[in-house]
Formats: sequence, structure tokens, C-alpha cells
Amino acid sequence: MITLIQFLKGYLRIKVWGFSPERFMNLCSMRGILLWDIEKDGDAYYMCISIKGFRSLLPITHKTGTRVAILQRHGLPFFMPLLRKRKIFILGLLLCISFWIFSSFFIWDIELSGNYQITEDVFLSYLKSNDVTVGMRKKELDIEELEKGIRRQFPVITWTSARLDGTKLLIQIKENDTPSVLPEEPAEGGKDLVAPFDGKIVSMIVRSGVPKVSIGDEVTEGTVLVEGKIPVLNEDSTPREYQYVSSDGDIVMEHAVTHEETLPFDHIEKEYTGRTKVKYFLRIGNLEWRMEEEQPFSVYDSVIREKIPVLFQKLSIPVMAGSITHREYVNVEHTYSEEEAKSLLSQKIREFFLSLEEKGVQIIEKDVTIERGSGAWILKSGLLVQERAFRQEATAQEPVPSKNPETDE
Amino acid sequence: MKKISRLAKQKENIVDTLQLPKDVCMGALCVTLTGNSEAWIENYRGILEYTGETILLQGKTCQVCFEGSGLSIDYYTNEDMKISGCIKAVRYL
Repeated sequence: MITLIQFLKGYLRIKVWGFSPERFMNLCSMRGILLWDIEKDGDAYYMCISIKGFRSLLPITHKTGTRVAILQRHGLPFFMPLLRKRKIFILGLLLCISFWIFSSFFIWDIELSGNYQITEDVFLSYLKSNDVTVGMRKKELDIEELEKGIRRQFPVITWTSARLDGTKLLIQIKENDTPSVLPEEPAEGGKDLVAPFDGKIVSMIVRSGVPKVSIGDEVTEGTVLVEGKIPVLNEDSTPREYQYVSSDGDIVMEHAVTHEETLPFDHIEKEYTGRTKVKYFLRIGNLEWRMEEEQPFSVYDSVIREKIPVLFQKLSIPVMAGSITHREYVNVEHTYSEEEAKSLLSQKIREFFLSLEEKGVQIIEKDVTIERGSGAWILKSGLLVQERAFRQEATAQEPVPSKNPETDE
Repeated sequence: MKKISRLAKQKENIVDTLQLPKDVCMGALCVTLTGNSEAWIENYRGILEYTGETILLQGKTCQVCFEGSGLSIDYYTNEDMKISGCIKAVRYL
């Protein structure tokens, strides 16, 4: 801070020599002239002094018989006259500052966060239809109205927050992540739960309906597990009528699954020749300028690198510079060695197991073999898994048993 | 001479009794050393001698001499000053 003040006010580095420099320093301090960075080199003393202090040095030098010479001039008062000669520099500086200030009146970026169901495109097109676009003036934006509008337009959004951070409009939303409760279909005719495949019942929790199998039973595909038809019994245990319900429950079945993966012996690999060509481009908003180019190589791929300059990053102005590197390659045919094939196939099967686990399938037993088939490596796996499995099907209607004619006793 | 020293003694006693700061009342030099590289001095009258190896200061009642190498004065005002460099000895004369 002190250095900044010294720079703004300006100071001098002087050399003092003569009869009594110590007395010179004492007199300076007596008169309130600040001296700093005092050093002695040979017979001379070097020190820094403010411009104002330097102007009142004359009586002191007379009194002490010392001589003073200016060595260096520092600070803004000495820098300004130099600037006066550099008109274009000043103009550029002023233009830069005014551009900076002017561009800060606009919105240059819209950032959306917290959206899962609503895609960014849908959201941005909504904003566009409400005249909220990149490049609009900040003053024209009514944040509260925008928040209300978003909530009105998208009922799934439960909370919205829009704020301006510099030239960036940050919109945070929160979607209703609890599953929307669908109105239950009227249980017309009722629904059964049936086995979707052959297997063994491992666990069974029935919430509504009549269980038709029990834990440990082997069932085949299509077997009714829970029936959506509840009999209402007469006193003599004969069904008087049936109530049809939509069956519900958690049923875990154990069944065998086979899975096969293949990997051809040969595959094509890119081999880069090392020849590359780099082209540059500049993008401002939707306008793009890029270096003219013909087809660089017969077979090639391209890597595009984009970068926003730091200044524009802070201002969020959509100016982007980048490069496109075209890399030439040739397609070379390779054959997998046994080890490579095995490691690739095991990687694939691991991913398959992982996908099963993500679905909630529990693997009880697994048996994996890798063998050489015709033209490809074949991985075969036999699994014994337990999973939550059932399918809903309409309950077979049964005619209500005809009532026996009542007999008088 | 004897009378002056007796008066000084009395003054010191009074200052001690009233628990007044000695540097204010007696005009004693106040030297604060930070390691052997910096010294901050208050209550001095002026510089008597300044070379790269010695800085001799005049206080109200005594003189103090800083000896060392590469001694320089960071700033020098009427109130206080700061010496930096490699201080090897501080002597009161």
C-alpha cells in the first residue's frame, strides 16, 4: 500500500555527498522530510525522497555544505508526460476500458444447472421465446418475472433461482425427483403376476392378490404367481363371488442365464504416420473465421481444441479461438494374441456383470470359459442369478358360481 | 554534577512509583531488535555517524552504536527509524 502511494505521488533516488551528510539527514527529519532506503557507498549516501521533500532541500544543503544529485525518477508524475507522447497507446487504453465497461452491460452467457429431465435445448428455446438471449441488455431482464415464467412453463420444476454473475446469467433449477403418482387404473377384471421365465421362487412378499406358489417352488414361464382374483366364500367355503384386484408384490426368482461374447481374431488399428497439419480458427458468437483448407490427407482424423481467452472468460463474451489438427493415419490389420483377447473379453464380461448388478440382479454362481471358435474368440458364461421378476397379465375371468336355491328349513 | 545525578535518581524514582512509561518521561531510547537483521529505534535526537559498518545515534541521555555489516536505514523520520543489515553488536556509550 505504501509502495502504491509512493508510486502515485512520485519519488526520487538521490545521491548526497559533501561536508556532513549525517547532519543533512538529521535536518531533513527535523523538518519532517521522509527519507528511506538510505545506503552508503564510499563517500556518498544514496536515499529516496519525495518530490515535495526534494523541493525544500535547498536551505538544508546550504547549511550542511552537502551536494545533492538526482539519480532516478520514479512514479506516476514522471510517467504521465511520457504517456502524452503516446497518443495511440492512450487511445487504445481508453477504447479497451470503454469496451470493457460497455460489454459489461450485456448478458454474454447463460448457464443452466440442476436440469435432468428438461434438456438444455428445450430450456434455451423457452428462454429465447421469452426474449432472454445471449447479447441482451442486463437492464431488460426481469429476473423475478423470468423465475415465475419458468415455474409456470415447466410444472416439473419445483424451485428456480436466476441471478446475474458479472455478465453471466446463472439459472439454477430443481426438478421434482419424486416419481409422479399415476392414477391407479380401475381394477377392471384384475391383474395377475406371472413368471416371465422358468426358475425357482426364492422370496415372495405379496401386497395384494392371492399367492399361488410358495418359496422354493419351481415354476415355468407363464405360471401365475399371484392371482388378482380374491374369492369371497360362503359359509360352506364355496366361492360366492370374486373380487378382482391388481396384484402387487415383490417376487425374487432364481434362474439360469447364459451369455456369450465374441471377439474377432482380426481388427483394424489406426497407425499414425506422424504427419500433421494445423489450422486455426476464430469464432465470435455464431460467426466463424477459419483458415482456408483443402483436404489435408487421404485418410485422417482431426482434433479440435477450443479456448476462450482469459479476459473473455471472465466477461463470458463468446469469443473463441482454437486449432484443428489433422493427423494422417493408415489402417493396419492386427491379430489379437491370446492374452490380449482374454483380457479384452474379461473386461467385457466384467462390464456385463456390472450392468447386471446395476439392474439389481444378484449373481449366485458363474461359470466362464473362453475358447477359440471359427474366426473369433468366444466367451461363454453360464450364470445362476436371483432377480426381482414378474409380469402383469389380465386375470382370467371366472363366472360367478350360480347360487343354490335357498331351501327353507 | 552530584546534584544532577541526584535529581535524575529522584525523577526515576517518581516515574517508577507512578508506573509511567520511561521512554516518554525520561526520554530513554527505545530499541526493538528483530533477530540480528532489523532494529527499530524511537526517541533519538539524530545520527552522529553512518557508515556501512557503524551507525551511531544520539539519544537524550546516551549514545547508541549499532555495529555490523551492510547496515542500511530503511526509513528515517523525526519519530522513529529502522535499520536493517547484519547487526553484530549494540553498544551504549
